[in-house]
Amino acid sequence: MAGSNQPLNPNDSKMVVPLNMWVLISNFKLAYNLLRRPDGTFNRDLAEFLDRKVPANANPVDGVFSFDVIVDRETNLLTRIYRPVEGDENHVNIVDLEKPVTAEVLPVLVFFHGGSFAHSSANSAIYDTLCRRLVGICNAVVVSVNYRRAPENRYPCAYEDGWKALKWVSTRTWLQSKKDNKVHIYMVGDSSGGNIVHHVALKALDSEIQVLGNILLNPLFGGEERTESEKRLDGRYFVRVKDRDWYWRAFLPEGEDRDHHACNPFGPKGRSLEGVTFPKSLVVVAGLDLVQDWQLGYAKGLEKAGQNVKLLFLEQATIGFYLLPNNEHFSLVMDEIKQFVNFDCS
Amino acid sequence: MEIEIDSVSSPSKVKEIDGLLADVGYKVKSSELHQVAQNIERLENVIVNSSSSDISQFASDTIHYDPSDIGNWVDNLLSEFDHTNSLPYDFSQLSDLAQDQHHHHHHHHHQNHQLKVVTTVEEDSAIKLIHMLMTCADSLQRGNIQLAGSLIEGMQGLLTNMNTNSGIGKVAGYFIDALNRRIFGQNNIIHIENDVLYHHYYEACPYLKFAHFTANQAILEAFNGHDCVHVIDFNLMHGLQWPALIQALALRPGGPPFLRLTGIGPPSHDDRDNLREIGLRLAELARSVNVRFAFRGVAAWRLEDVKPWMLQVSSKEAVAVNSIMQLHRLLGSEPDPNNPSAIETVLGWIRSLNPKIMTVVEQEANHNEDGFMDRFTEALHYYSTVFDSLEACPVEPDKAMAEIYLQREICNVVCCEGPARVERHEPLIKWRERLGKTGFRPLHLGSNAFKQASMLLTLFSAEGYCVEENQGSLTLGWHSRPLIAASAWQAVPETLRFDH
Repeated sequence: MAGSNQPLNPNDSKMVVPLNMWVLISNFKLAYNLLRRPDGTFNRDLAEFLDRKVPANANPVDGVFSFDVIVDRETNLLTRIYRPVEGDENHVNIVDLEKPVTAEVLPVLVFFHGGSFAHSSANSAIYDTLCRRLVGICNAVVVSVNYRRAPENRYPCAYEDGWKALKWVSTRTWLQSKKDNKVHIYMVGDSSGGNIVHHVALKALDSEIQVLGNILLNPLFGGEERTESEKRLDGRYFVRVKDRDWYWRAFLPEGEDRDHHACNPFGPKGRSLEGVTFPKSLVVVAGLDLVQDWQLGYAKGLEKAGQNVKLLFLEQATIGFYLLPNNEHFSLVMDEIKQFVNFDCS
Repeated sequence: MEIEIDSVSSPSKVKEIDGLLADVGYKVKSSELHQVAQNIERLENVIVNSSSSDISQFASDTIHYDPSDIGNWVDNLLSEFDHTNSLPYDFSQLSDLAQDQHHHHHHHHHQNHQLKVVTTVEEDSAIKLIHMLMTCADSLQRGNIQLAGSLIEGMQGLLTNMNTNSGIGKVAGYFIDALNRRIFGQNNIIHIENDVLYHHYYEACPYLKFAHFTANQAILEAFNGHDCVHVIDFNLMHGLQWPALIQALALRPGGPPFLRLTGIGPPSHDDRDNLREIGLRLAELARSVNVRFAFRGVAAWRLEDVKPWMLQVSSKEAVAVNSIMQLHRLLGSEPDPNNPSAIETVLGWIRSLNPKIMTVVEQEANHNEDGFMDRFTEALHYYSTVFDSLEACPVEPDKAMAEIYLQREICNVVCCEGPARVERHEPLIKWRERLGKTGFRPLHLGSNAFKQASMLLTLFSAEGYCVEENQGSLTLGWHSRPLIAASAWQAVPETLRFDH
């Protein structure tokens, strides 16, 4: 307990992010602190109470409308679908919600929100806003998956939900691009969502489903070893190592350590991706994120296995930089994402 | 406790709220960012110097309010923390349900309203059906009765090949029926008393239970420390809400108050006096748990016909006004520049009673648009979701009766116009605006009410019901769609209110 009683110096983080972003992320940090219990349980009621949620809206706002679909009744797996309006409509009929896509090529982004496997939902305001932005930037349909969370639902629930959602998306005829009558799927995720992207892509390997690309924003990876970045940045930019440890304990099967392949995919218990047709990957790493060594290690692991990976290292970025658009990292990353998913569009 | 005098919502005030934070669900004034940041740091230091188990216990025990107001939330935690760490007792820190008046500025709302859709249809015939429904409603709006009529025939034909026992077939059936009535004015009304249907609706799904439960919680807290309390129920029905409150008051530390209940309801036909009968039953219950109780029934066809003197409120009483899905019925009066509207009149006399609390529960829907198409579309979405949730109910005849209860609402929304249309549901956003303008300020429902409402829901086997916090109010919905909203209010004292 001794280490945790050091006062956190807020000056570090305040210097590198705009004030409103500092307030936003600090507010989350504070709230999350109240929710994690030392015995590994989670105050879910208070978490749901504190989380700011927004309903779907089939009336377009800034050219985007959304609606929720239950993809699997048994587990109540919900996805929120965001679509761009076509033309000048400001009114969308219920019939139009699943109207077939008219574009020659339309990217469909299957999105997994972050929250370290325990926090947030598809209808959390921060993620609803982010998904809407992605629609506009990429001219894509975004499908945000409301996967089951830890600690109530440990590994592999989130991956199974992701896989179900991916399968569902791939079989929607109304999402097919006109060019080849196929659904052009990319997977995007931040934090735990990034981790889920990797593992769902693994599941897809043994199937007919083709994922055109993976986009991982500050993905959550880890391992038993304490890396240099974890030691150097512990507690300095909103996150402490012990917080990360708590979330892994909450997500991984009981008794497993952080070298479990879910946490450490290129570690001692990981799966080799050599010779495998893995989707091309865009990995975004924030230079002030304490788990960056693991994220960089992930990108290297892909590279070593001969996979197509682009690494975007943002030196002065912190966790959550993509939640608000008022920083240069945001625009940079969004541009990269746009190029990444429009690569095969003429 | 300081009361913030924040009277006018002018455009310059709107700009004060940080727009980017508003986009992600938070209300913080740009000018206050520094202060809020400082307080966050203070709270962080406090937390870092406590043990983790203390912190999580503290978080559980504290009642949290309106998390979208970060500044207030942090302040509240700071003062609660100071409190629990036994600083000298400071009267200015008395925790009180009443909060400062907040104006919620919607500077980012370009759209007229939100259209919330959960789950869309897959089958071809269902899609066709919905298409025809929308086209029919549209032709009605344009006055093309012939086309509308033939579409109705077409839809009825489609229905014969569909499953009308559940899902879209069932809901569509009710809407087709309503459209039919609107055009041809049929009168084959089912003769079941509304209060009987209401009772079955109460049993079949958790919406009314949630409404009663949440309102009672708030009323109980408001009545703390008062020996004479008076509840005015705007729609007594079978008095289902009150046994729980009576029992809670009986168990109150320090003993129960003297409880008066005034129940408003329609006059009974035949020789019965329904109101009095309910009152007698409640009096029996109160007697059995040693709560001094008095009941008075006020018979009126419409709420706007009730005059405050009929309620016989005494100045020594703490008054709670309880309105479960009644206020929206007042929105249909003809606008008359010389006379206040029904809603203004009623809200006016409520204020004059100076109630300790007014609990308001309303359908979270926008069924009061003038345009028929808008209303029809909204209602189709809303009731589809409600019926979807009803399918989880296994109990008969509750479910069948609940469906008839809802069908009546649907008919009113779709078929009626003018004063006859009483189901003029409006969402929380609009009620906040209206109540704010007529001199009420919100009393926030906190995390304790939220937790207990969530626990109530776990008693229902159907997973899918969802309680959400919405800036001090609580909503209950099906999956991600809020369907009913509960809020609490207090009248702003006259001297502190600037009329504009």
